[in-house]
Amino acid sequence: MTPAFAPGQRVRIADRDAPGHVRTPVYVRGRIGVIERVLPQFLDPEREAYGVNAGTEVQLYRVRIPQISLWPDYRGSREDVLELEIYEHWLEHAEEDAR
Amino acid sequence: MSEAHAPVESAAEEPDYFEVLVESMRELLVAKGLIGAGEVRAMVETLDAHDPTIGAALVARAWVEEDFRARLRDDATAVVEQSGIDNYDHARFVVLEQTPDTHNLVVCTLCSCYPRALLGLPPDWYKSRPYRSRAVREPRAVLAEFGTDVADDVRIRVHDSNANMRYLVMPMRPAGTDGWTQEQLAALVTRDSMIGVSRALTP
Amino acid sequence: MTDKSELIVRPTHDMGGRTPGGPVTRDDHEMTPFEKTCHALLNVLDAHKLVNTEEKRRGVEDLGGEILSSLTYDERWAVSASKVLIEKGLITSEELGETMAQVRRRLTADP
Repeated sequence: MTPAFAPGQRVRIADRDAPGHVRTPVYVRGRIGVIERVLPQFLDPEREAYGVNAGTEVQLYRVRIPQISLWPDYRGSREDVLELEIYEHWLEHAEEDAR
Repeated sequence: MSEAHAPVESAAEEPDYFEVLVESMRELLVAKGLIGAGEVRAMVETLDAHDPTIGAALVARAWVEEDFRARLRDDATAVVEQSGIDNYDHARFVVLEQTPDTHNLVVCTLCSCYPRALLGLPPDWYKSRPYRSRAVREPRAVLAEFGTDVADDVRIRVHDSNANMRYLVMPMRPAGTDGWTQEQLAALVTRDSMIGVSRALTP
Repeated sequence: MTDKSELIVRPTHDMGGRTPGGPVTRDDHEMTPFEKTCHALLNVLDAHKLVNTEEKRRGVEDLGGEILSSLTYDERWAVSASKVLIEKGLITSEELGETMAQVRRRLTADP
């Protein structure tokens, strides 16, 4: 299974809000970032949380997001970033000009 | 905030509910053959065998051996396992290097993910609400509370350890340590410097 | 989001960016034997996939705000693990209760 995203690509993190166990923190949902690196595939934690221990491998990525885009009151350098791990099914391509 | 657990040896008091619960689960699972009789005890010993000196030794070696540093950057998990470290919880590692223009800071906002095989168990503050809520939002203020000043022209990368990777920060080698042995260097590498809230000690 | 949906979509454990945060006090303490044993048990449960790490986390999250704020880290893990084991049919609440009664008797009689 080839990764859908490559380093440097601009992505939007989905903004889903269903009940269940997810590892995408609320503070980054709906936000735009850039793929920092492609990580290995791992079992989908949303299914693992309910006992599914095999067969659900998902690509994981590190996504980099500018802090000034996350927090309206951010105090620090404009270059400061937040980086975290997002599973492929939480990502979609983001066009350059789309905001 | 709940009280510290009374030792189970104090017979006058009712044994603590949660201690009874843990011991009961253990006994029941052993009786059912689902876990081995000595497994929990062996795991306690494993937990005791891991502390920040393991991570510090990796950092010290990376400071001295450029190719080791490069290998850590490239595939930290492989290097950890080849170093004979017991990666008992099968973690996958990323090493983050502090540089003069970039400062890295690690937090797990969702729980307490931490490179336990390299640093031992995380301190209470790492698991606390103030750290988990503020490290991502105001890293410079949090760092200042640890006595760590980061200049305005230094970029901060905050890493939320929210999924499968575990992060080890490699602090910068302090000045005035030319010719030091790895053992001497490792003594400067504190746990907090490998989380990114502090820098390494200076000579 | 309404307040009620916020409780579901933004459960207590999802702490990134929440305000107010409060000062970071450099709390730390020597792990007690109970805490180490509990931590060790959860590691063993994960190794056997009796309660994997995500199940443990999900169980903790589902304890809800009041329990989360009242119990220590390890106490939450213990309760989570026990409920997941029961949910999966690996143990029953009844036999766990019987074992707990036996353990209590033993600890009380023989300090």
